[in-house]
Amino acid sequence: MKDDWRKYLGLRAPRYTSYPSALHFDAQVTDEDYASRLGEVSLYEPLSLYFHIPFCKRLCWYCGCNMRVENDYARAVRYVDALRREVDLVGKKLNGAGRPRSIHFGGGTPNFLKVDEIGRILEAVELSLGLTDSTRLAIELDPRLIRDNDIARLVALGFNRISLGVQDFDPEVQAAINRVQSFDLVEAAVGEMRRYGVDDLSFDLLYGLPKQTVASFAATLAKTIALSPDRVAIFGYAHLPAQLPRQRLIDDALLPPEALRADLSILGDEMLVAAGYVRVGFDHYAKPDNPLARAAIEGRLRRNFQGFTDDPAETTIGFGASSISFVGEIYAQNAKTLADYYSRIDQRRLATERGLLLSPRERVVAATIRDLLCRGRADIRPLLRALAPTEANRICANLDRFEEDGVICWEGDSVALAPGARTLARAVAMALDPYEAAIGRKAAPRLAHAV
Amino acid sequence: MSTQAQNKDQGCHAPDRPATCDVCEVRGRSICADLGPREFAHVEKTMARRHVSRNKSLMIEGEPNESLYVVVAGSFRLSKMLEDGRRQVTGFLFKGDFAGVRSTDASAYSAEALEDSLVCFFPHRYLEEIAADAPGVKDRLIARGQTEYHKAQDHIVLLGKKTAEERVISFIDLIGRQIGADDKDGNRVVPLPMPRQDIADYLGLRLETLSRTLTALREDGRITDVSRHSVTIPADCVSA
Repeated sequence: MKDDWRKYLGLRAPRYTSYPSALHFDAQVTDEDYASRLGEVSLYEPLSLYFHIPFCKRLCWYCGCNMRVENDYARAVRYVDALRREVDLVGKKLNGAGRPRSIHFGGGTPNFLKVDEIGRILEAVELSLGLTDSTRLAIELDPRLIRDNDIARLVALGFNRISLGVQDFDPEVQAAINRVQSFDLVEAAVGEMRRYGVDDLSFDLLYGLPKQTVASFAATLAKTIALSPDRVAIFGYAHLPAQLPRQRLIDDALLPPEALRADLSILGDEMLVAAGYVRVGFDHYAKPDNPLARAAIEGRLRRNFQGFTDDPAETTIGFGASSISFVGEIYAQNAKTLADYYSRIDQRRLATERGLLLSPRERVVAATIRDLLCRGRADIRPLLRALAPTEANRICANLDRFEEDGVICWEGDSVALAPGARTLARAVAMALDPYEAAIGRKAAPRLAHAV
Repeated sequence: MSTQAQNKDQGCHAPDRPATCDVCEVRGRSICADLGPREFAHVEKTMARRHVSRNKSLMIEGEPNESLYVVVAGSFRLSKMLEDGRRQVTGFLFKGDFAGVRSTDASAYSAEALEDSLVCFFPHRYLEEIAADAPGVKDRLIARGQTEYHKAQDHIVLLGKKTAEERVISFIDLIGRQIGADDKDGNRVVPLPMPRQDIADYLGLRLETLSRTLTALREDGRITDVSRHSVTIPADCVSA
C-alpha cells in the first residue's frame, strides 16, 4: 500500500451491497407497494430468492447480523411455518410470473434448522413460485452445527453451493470473538462436502478481529489454502459497539490498529492470488474455473446483499424477518423483530416495514457505483449529468484528490481504480455518492471501515 | 410426397412445394380453412413444406426469422434462454399450431422438434405482397390455430396453480385438448411426446416431484397407463 493511501484507511464507508443503503430506507414503502410491484413481474423474469434464518446456537461477539440466540427448536419450527405462509402470499401476488433461478439461505445460522425444515421451505417454494432441478441452491453453514447426514441430505435436496463461516483458525482469536471451532472440525466438514460432490464451496474469513497478527492471519490463510475452497471472501470486521451492544463484549484494546488492518487485508490478497485464486470485486477470491471468477473475468459480476455474485437476476425476493427485496425499482424490507414479522404474516399481509423507491437519479448513482465496484471502472458522465452542478463539482473535486494520490486514473470519461487500489474501491464509491459526507472528513462511525 | 433434398441448415430438409394442399391433414381443421379459393391459390403458391428431424431446430432464439410456420405433423418444444444461460421451456407446438407470427431480426425463442415433424411455411415477405389482393390474409391464416402468444397464456395459467397435482393434471388435460387425444372406450389417451425433464421445467417442478405426482395421480385412479410417451385419462375422470 502506498503511503499516500494510508490516510483513507480510517475512512468509514458503506458496504454498498445496495444503493442507497438500508440506512436510507423509511416507512414510505408499504406492503401494498411491495405487493403491487410483485404483480408487475413478467412471466420469465429470473428471480433470486433469499431466506433469512435469524437463529444461532451461540452468540459470536463480532456479529452484525439480525439474529438471536435460540435454544427452543419449536420456535424455529414456528418461524418456518411463517416463512411458508410468506412464500404462499408472495406466490399469490406473482400469480405464476417470475422464475426462481437461485435461492440463498443466510442468517444467523441456516443450519440451526434441521434439513427437514429446509426441505419444507423448498417445498413451499416449489408449489407457490416454482422450483426446477436447475435452480441454484446455496446455504451458509456453521461447521459446529453440522449434524450426521446433513451434508448428504442437503446435496440430495439440490444444494450445490455451500459457504462455511470460518472467520479465523487461530484459537486465541476464536476465543476473543467467542467462536471456537477447531481446524479438524472444518477439515472434516470440507471432506464430507467433497465426498458428496459439492464443487462450489466457499469460506468466509474476517480480518481486523481482536488478537489477529500478521503471523496468525498468515497461518489462517495457509490452512484455508490447504483446504482448497472454491471461493474465499475476506471481509473487514466492522466494530460498531455503539450500534451493536454485543460487540461491546470485544475488548477494544485487542483490536488491530488501522495500519495492521491494512496489512492483514494486503496479506490475504497476496497469499490467495499466489495460491492461484482470481480477485473478484474488492473482497472475494475464486478459483479460475469457478463461476464467480468467470463472471468477474467476463464482466458479468454483480453485487447483491450477499456480496459479489454471478447471479444475473435483478429481482430479489427476501423472506423472513429483516430481509430485503428489490422488485421493480423498490426496496422493501421486512419487519426486523420476530414479533412484528409474525404479526404481519399472521394477518396474511406481506411483512414490509420500510423501504425506498429508487429515484431516476439514484438509479444512475447505483449503476455508477456498481460498475466501479464490480468492474473496477465506471463512466461518470451519466452521474455528472444527473446531479446538480454543486454536487457534480464536489464529486469532481473528490476524484481529483484520489487522482493526485494515484488511487484512480482517468480513461476517457471513465474512472478506473489504479492497480493495487482495489481495497479502496469503497472509499472511491463513497466519493461518487452524493449522500455521503465530503471526503477528507471522517463520516459518522455508524459505517464500517472502508478497509 | 417429395424427393428428399440435401440436408440444409439446422438439419432441416430443403423446402418442397406440396403437389397440392388438398392432401393436407390439418387444412380443414385450422389453417387454411378460412381462405377463399382465389386467396388460397395465392397462399399455395408462396408456401412450402419442410421436414424437421427430431432434436433439430426450426427457429433459433436470437437469429432472424422471416417465415410463418404451421405444424402439419409432429411437435415442437419452445424455449428461451434466461439471463443466467439456462433454458426455460415456454411451451409446446402441436399439429395446427403456428410459430413465427411476425418477421424479426432476432427470434424471442427457439423451437426444436420433439419428433420427426413436418411444417408448412409462408415467407412474411410474400404474405405482405399478396395482402393487397387478399386483405388480412395472415390474420385469417392464424385465426384458428394457436400461436406463441396463446402458449404464453397457457403457461401462466398453469404456473399460477397452487398444487403439483393441479399443475400436472391441468397440463395433461391441456395437451390432450391441443394434440387431440385418442378416444378409447371413452378413455382419453394423451400422447406426451416431450421428455419428463421438459415437462418438469415447464411446470416449475423438480423431476422427482413430477414423478411422485404422476404416481399419486395413478394411485388415485385419475390417470392410468402412465408410459414414457402417453398417459390415459379414464372415462370417469374426463373433465369438460
